[in-house]
Amino acid sequence: MNEITTDFAVFGSTPLARLLAGLLASRHGKKVVIVGEVKARYRLPRVADLSIAPITRPETWALLQAAIPETTRLIGKIGGRTAHRRVDSIFFAESPAAREALGHVANMVRAFGMVVETLPASLLGANRLALRISDAIAINRPVIEPALEAWLTQSGVTILLAPAVSFAPDGSVLLREGETEIRAAQAILADDTAITDHLSRAEWPTPLVERLYSTILTTSSRHLGSPIMADFDTGTWFVEHDEGGMAAIGPGDLAKFSQNLIALLDQPSQLQQAGQVTFPALGTADNAPLIGRRDDLGPTLLVGLDGWGAFLVPVLARHFAGEASAREAAWIKTHGPARTVPVGEFAAHADEFPA
Amino acid sequence: MKTQVNRLPGDTGKGLAGAHIDRGRSISFSLNGRVAHGFIGDTVLTALIASGVDTIGTLDGHPLGLRRGAAPPIAHVGTAHDPQQALPMDRTLAMDGAEYVTVGDRTASGLFARLFQPGRTLGLVVNADGSGLASPWRGVRGSAEEPVDLLVIGAGVAGMSAALAGAIAGLKVTLVEASPRLGGHSGLFGTQDGESSPEENVAHLFDEISASDAITVNTATEVFAITEGLARAHQVDTSGGTAKGRVIDLPAKHIVIATGSLERLPIFGGNRLPGVVGAMEAFELAQRYGIWTGTSWLLATTSNPAYRLGTLLQDTGLKLDRIVEGRDRANSRYIEFCKAYGIRQFPGTTPSFVSATKSGASLSVHLPHSDPVPVERVVACGGFQPDLTLWHIAGGASHWHREGQRLEPRGTLAGIALAGSAAGYLTRRGCITSGFDAVDRLLGREGRGVDDPVIDAIYETRDGWMIGPEGEDTAPPAYLEGDRTLLVRPVTPQQSWSQRFFDRQPKRARVLSEAPQSLDIGAICAGVALGLIPAASAGIVAQERVALVPLAQIAPTTVKTTTPVLPTFVPPWLVGRFGPDQRVATLDHDKARSLGAGALIYASGDTTDPQSASGVVLRTASGQTMALVSATAPKNVIVRDSGQEIAAVIAPLPVQPA
Repeated sequence: MNEITTDFAVFGSTPLARLLAGLLASRHGKKVVIVGEVKARYRLPRVADLSIAPITRPETWALLQAAIPETTRLIGKIGGRTAHRRVDSIFFAESPAAREALGHVANMVRAFGMVVETLPASLLGANRLALRISDAIAINRPVIEPALEAWLTQSGVTILLAPAVSFAPDGSVLLREGETEIRAAQAILADDTAITDHLSRAEWPTPLVERLYSTILTTSSRHLGSPIMADFDTGTWFVEHDEGGMAAIGPGDLAKFSQNLIALLDQPSQLQQAGQVTFPALGTADNAPLIGRRDDLGPTLLVGLDGWGAFLVPVLARHFAGEASAREAAWIKTHGPARTVPVGEFAAHADEFPA
Repeated sequence: MKTQVNRLPGDTGKGLAGAHIDRGRSISFSLNGRVAHGFIGDTVLTALIASGVDTIGTLDGHPLGLRRGAAPPIAHVGTAHDPQQALPMDRTLAMDGAEYVTVGDRTASGLFARLFQPGRTLGLVVNADGSGLASPWRGVRGSAEEPVDLLVIGAGVAGMSAALAGAIAGLKVTLVEASPRLGGHSGLFGTQDGESSPEENVAHLFDEISASDAITVNTATEVFAITEGLARAHQVDTSGGTAKGRVIDLPAKHIVIATGSLERLPIFGGNRLPGVVGAMEAFELAQRYGIWTGTSWLLATTSNPAYRLGTLLQDTGLKLDRIVEGRDRANSRYIEFCKAYGIRQFPGTTPSFVSATKSGASLSVHLPHSDPVPVERVVACGGFQPDLTLWHIAGGASHWHREGQRLEPRGTLAGIALAGSAAGYLTRRGCITSGFDAVDRLLGREGRGVDDPVIDAIYETRDGWMIGPEGEDTAPPAYLEGDRTLLVRPVTPQQSWSQRFFDRQPKRARVLSEAPQSLDIGAICAGVALGLIPAASAGIVAQERVALVPLAQIAPTTVKTTTPVLPTFVPPWLVGRFGPDQRVATLDHDKARSLGAGALIYASGDTTDPQSASGVVLRTASGQTMALVSATAPKNVIVRDSGQEIAAVIAPLPVQPA
């Protein structure tokens, strides 16, 4: 039996999980093992990997805007020029409540130096407020994922697919695969699948909730107003693909999400469905990210960071390595499971679709 | 002049004279103004093929063969605009005097069309995304039929057995079959020792079904969507003397999916040229409709049943040049029969590609270490895959079976069971007994089990994959599947020297997760065989990408919220934003300027740091601007809105009268 000790065991298959594992090893000199298998090239997307999101809290924007250039350089170094791209995104809203939320997000984005343009009503419909936000960064997952695997190996990260797992109350974990036994001082469950695969609901922190989301891939060859769009009323993301077609991602099971999509789209009968999936997505009751351990026991969880959260990876890596700045540490602390300071974020229709 | 150039003589033996047609009753109809001839019993597709039409048109400069599963929809003249009136030419019985047009693709003109003999091609320009071959009725809502206890989808031996099992159990049964006749596709697979022939089996089951009052049979009815308790189908009704299409919803307490197997397309360049056909289609065109194209042919196969064509056609005068066997060492009784007939066989050989001659009249099969072989037809068989399309649509799971090199079903679904080769069974006896077993399981009974006497692989080698080399620049494309999706084998992009030198990446190759079309089972299986999809992911991809359920079928019920927000309402995501003692206040400012929700309020002249804001504009209601401010916000503030600074005064909320 080979017995190995490491500093961290990161569980997850998303770019965030892979980047975190690699940064801890390559930049912070930690011994890291990562558990999980990447599948983006073959599965429908579950999130929009974009550096902006409907975030209203300035402290989150401050941290994110500071980290984006660092993360973008890292992604480019790992995956090449096509691993990311600049996109002008459109956020839009129709109901009074959603229009207000959009206004708050727009002011945040503008305050942090991004260009925001109000679009003419003719573009998306007279009743809709639509804003174009320039120069967000989108990750090209099918390009970055294979590159991440090579980078992890170069960084000395051990990759395990499906070991036997045993978590300890002190946050450590024992992994067994074949004749190899790895003990990691700290376990980090870095994406939803990692959490649902390895923890029962009884082991979840109190703020954690599970909601149903769906992705529908359509064959539409009509171009969207922007490569990535988000509807604040339904919480639906639209991601246009280079090869034609569009993925719509949003809350609800397939039947409900399909209804919402029909109501949202112009001439839905012209669209053909090329694929669909319903999946559980983890979030929090206040819709803000969660970083931490339940009652300071067991593994560390990262929740609510899919998509934009990948751009926060350098901050997370510094935190876990014990090298976070005071501001970073304060943000992490306020987003722990036992929240004493309100950090809630906007989310559309989230509570209507419990899993 | 012979109008049905591809029709075999009426006295052709070995059951290849056309069991479904009545040669004493000729018919003719027109398609896009061109007259085609056939017999009663022909479908529009088979009559066209018999009349010498074997080409849809061109795609990327190459001709595309007309085949079952990849034929453009048609409609009666004047009804092409109505999706409900569109008809599938492979399920529509040819009617004398009918006038049809193709729906969707536009006709081509010009040089390339002239490279083919007049009359061979429909002359359509095919869209690469396959949209021209799509079925327009899929977006139409169905009219509800009477509910039944048991719906059986597919009337092969497994489906017919399931229908009978349901009737015996006292259930009210509907049996639907996509083709115009019952019977399925077991004919190609021959007989094991002691078995009756497929034709005898089918006839016996047919007689029993006909005698049962409990079973309603719908032919020319293809199910294309399914969920627990309901299936949606497109039906072609020719009872009124003219073909009419309609979409129907079939409610049923229990559903058996017995949709059989799909023949895999061997992957080599030119695999969908006119003249290249699958073994099952070639067999059924001959056996059911007495059709065979060309006088010389070559068989390329990695599956044993395809060899039966070699022996069946021995006395017809059709010249079989050779059999190219993709497996290195294959054993089968059918292989031995072909050897006994002296048919040349080349094991361990895969075509590099097939090309059309300049005249278009014949094909050249390019084999390794050999001169190109000229033939008029290529029968290409890449083995068989359970048809799990409806299973996936219903939410069923599958996984890649490494030994069988195919997708097989996994798990269960409430109210839905698989039977026959769709369930993975390999023998006719297995298919028949699985039909009974499926009904037992649906009714919660023990189940009488399935007897599937598979001959040991030592004697009957399992199906393999036929994968040719990556195409030369001049070779026609290699398609992944023989249906309407038209996905081609990705080609490794060649980097120029400058790209290699500067480490620039070429335009990225196609990524499966973003391909803007559904991926059917055949394409997914081909993807696994080509290494494009990990075997472990095949089941996931099949579940997520195979289904093609129309969007525009459910009336949306979501009511848009137009309810105005209360003036002093603080949304949950603003709780605590400005401290535990934050308050709602009014904001007095120059009324000529309206302030937008989210505009930040600052206590001092420095309005550049959002984290130092003392408040935020909530909304303007009835001419009054409401704001959320911290407990320490001063009276005089500056509001930053859309890049501009506006002076404002915070005032307490007006006191509401008691």
